[in-house]
Amino acid sequence: GERKEGEEPEEAGKSPGAGAAHGAWAWAVVLHFFLVNVLVMGMLKTFGIFFVAFQEDVGGSSEQVSWIGSIMSSLRFLGAPLVAVMCRGLGERPTSLLGAGLVAGGCLVSTQATSVPFLCVSMGLLLGLGFACLYQAAAVMTAKRCRARLGFSNAVARSGMGLTFLMAPFTQLLLDFYGWQGTLLIFGGIMLNLVPSSLLLRPISTRRSSATNRDCASSVTQKGPETPDGCLDGTTHGELHPPGAQELPTAGRLLLSHGKGVSDPINPPALGELEKPSPDRSSPGTATEAKRSNKPLPAAKKETSQPLLDLSPLKDPVFFIFTWSFLFSHLAYFVPFFHLVARARTLGMSSMDGSYLISVAGITEMLSQLLSGWVADQNWTKKYHFHVTYLVLSGITNLLGPLATTFPLLLTYTVAFSVFCGGFMALVLPVLVDLVGVEKLHSYLGFAAFFAGIAAIGGPPLAGWLYDHTRTYACSFLLAGACALVSPLPFCLEPRAQKWRLQRATL
Amino acid sequence: GPDVTTQDLKQPSKEHQSNGSFVQSEILLPGPPGTLLERNITLANATTVELSCKLDPDSHLKSPQVTWKRGNETISHTSKTENSWSIKLVIVDSSNMGSYSCVLKGKEEISATFHLHVPKIEAREKPIITYERDTAVMVCKTHSTPMAWTWYMMSGSKPVVINESLRTDKYLIDRLSANVTRLRILKLTKEDAGVYWCEAAFELGKSEGKVKLKVLSIMAPLKPFVAIVAEVIILVTTIILYELYSKRKGK
Repeated sequence: GERKEGEEPEEAGKSPGAGAAHGAWAWAVVLHFFLVNVLVMGMLKTFGIFFVAFQEDVGGSSEQVSWIGSIMSSLRFLGAPLVAVMCRGLGERPTSLLGAGLVAGGCLVSTQATSVPFLCVSMGLLLGLGFACLYQAAAVMTAKRCRARLGFSNAVARSGMGLTFLMAPFTQLLLDFYGWQGTLLIFGGIMLNLVPSSLLLRPISTRRSSATNRDCASSVTQKGPETPDGCLDGTTHGELHPPGAQELPTAGRLLLSHGKGVSDPINPPALGELEKPSPDRSSPGTATEAKRSNKPLPAAKKETSQPLLDLSPLKDPVFFIFTWSFLFSHLAYFVPFFHLVARARTLGMSSMDGSYLISVAGITEMLSQLLSGWVADQNWTKKYHFHVTYLVLSGITNLLGPLATTFPLLLTYTVAFSVFCGGFMALVLPVLVDLVGVEKLHSYLGFAAFFAGIAAIGGPPLAGWLYDHTRTYACSFLLAGACALVSPLPFCLEPRAQKWRLQRATL
Repeated sequence: GPDVTTQDLKQPSKEHQSNGSFVQSEILLPGPPGTLLERNITLANATTVELSCKLDPDSHLKSPQVTWKRGNETISHTSKTENSWSIKLVIVDSSNMGSYSCVLKGKEEISATFHLHVPKIEAREKPIITYERDTAVMVCKTHSTPMAWTWYMMSGSKPVVINESLRTDKYLIDRLSANVTRLRILKLTKEDAGVYWCEAAFELGKSEGKVKLKVLSIMAPLKPFVAIVAEVIILVTTIILYELYSKRKGK
């Protein structure tokens, strides 16, 4: 506490405008993430409209054409570990630019498609990898930039998914006007907009990170040692340590507070550095910054010796806790939406009612995400407590779902379900950041997304298989409820897992 | 073998040609209230058709007088069983097709109609959008095997048959299966745009499907694309300039 106040006026003297500028860049990153969500999810959702056009023009059976969509949406997850390596090696901005280029290029190349395998590569592979690049870079950058208000920023960015409902009629309009080739051409152009927005992902320099601390110091509370607040870390040791070490996970922070010279034991192989500090340091800065760069930094050396492909998440129990929860919560999220309209139809409601339900669900979810993110940022309790609560409530709602047999009841279920789903989905990234800290985020997020991708591939077919066997959609909701209740279970083990990591770090 | 049908409650059902050349169709009178007393029968080849109107034993109608008509002319060779009146028709060509109805004259007059027609053709309803120098693919499908398929396009108001042999480098007509025909037009130009008809000739008549073709020039979607790319370049330049400016300012 004291050290923090001591540092602040010092930093205030150095870079008066940096705080405000940093806030602006944080919002720029959120804007980019928002755009990524809109375009990526929009493309994934409108693929169904292209499906028909592909089947008619390019030929191929229904199953063959649906492979394109499957490859596209699954590579978005499965490509994450590879993208994590790229991000750590190249940095987020180049990776994001690469992703934008892949997506735009994939769309443009697809206009020349003449067969389904061609489309599988040009649309499925290129777009899938591009999406993975964009998503990973944007998510981690948001986590790095918006340290204090991550929940709310994440929710704002995710609300982009709610706007994707506009893409469908727009795509249909373009298809009617220009045919699928012209539409893909125009889509390629629209995706190119991700290039300037990727340029907004400015790499964080040391100077900026100390400005971060001022920016978010206001909303920091001292809630016990387990709130990994990069702000506090940074203010105590902003001068010495490279950006990565500032955002140490919970375990490391306890040791950090003992003094500046403790940097060595804090950088065991478990820590990875994300950016090469040198280019940042060579960017124009004050004389103090030059001094900083000259200080011997064991962390910098460690960074270059750190392998790019970091498999350490796989040995970490916290990773399994998170991935287990992520996997099941994803299943719990997708399956009911998949079958909501069909369930309404089997209960005798018209498809208009079904679409109304989906719209209500979308809007409610958007609002609930924003609220949940804001609430989580208030730090009244650990973020994952909220996460667990939402999951449990969503599970209960789903288990009660089959009782909804009339339109008002189904509407109530939809609203309740969307509220809780929005709640937990908004907190996935903040919870992960809380658990593992920001500098290892790439590897963890990469592998978690990989496993979630495996689940995502299996989810819809599993739900469909359930329906075929039980002839009622009620089972999908029961399955979703069960998944939602199963997913928060490992969080009970979280304190123990953190203790285990702490012990390992001190060894 | 014979097809025995039951009355469709909501809509008149379609009767498809069975493997044999005998089709039997029956309408129950007066039927549930609110039902349309009509039946559609699809025939492609020469068939013997037996149409019957059966009296519902639960109904209040008693011993009505039944006549079979086709348009205005009455058909004489009807046969009657206890509660049903039927006619047997031998359909050999298109002149035998049409609508046949049985008229019951009792306290009220009730009539039921059987529509005999050739199979309909399914073709794409939305216009096909293609680009110049591209290839257009048009497909027509039907449920029975026609004797021949013909494609033609409307030039002005006159139909012009598309003769494949005349221009083999331009038109390719092939049959994807017995019931499906495909016309491919290569090296499209603006003049190829318009309405195309695919005609299936059955023993019992002809049936048509319509496909509309639009040919766009490549410039059409290119204009919005170039506009978007220009906007992107402007944004990129702005951001890079701003970064350079702020770096210089920082120095």
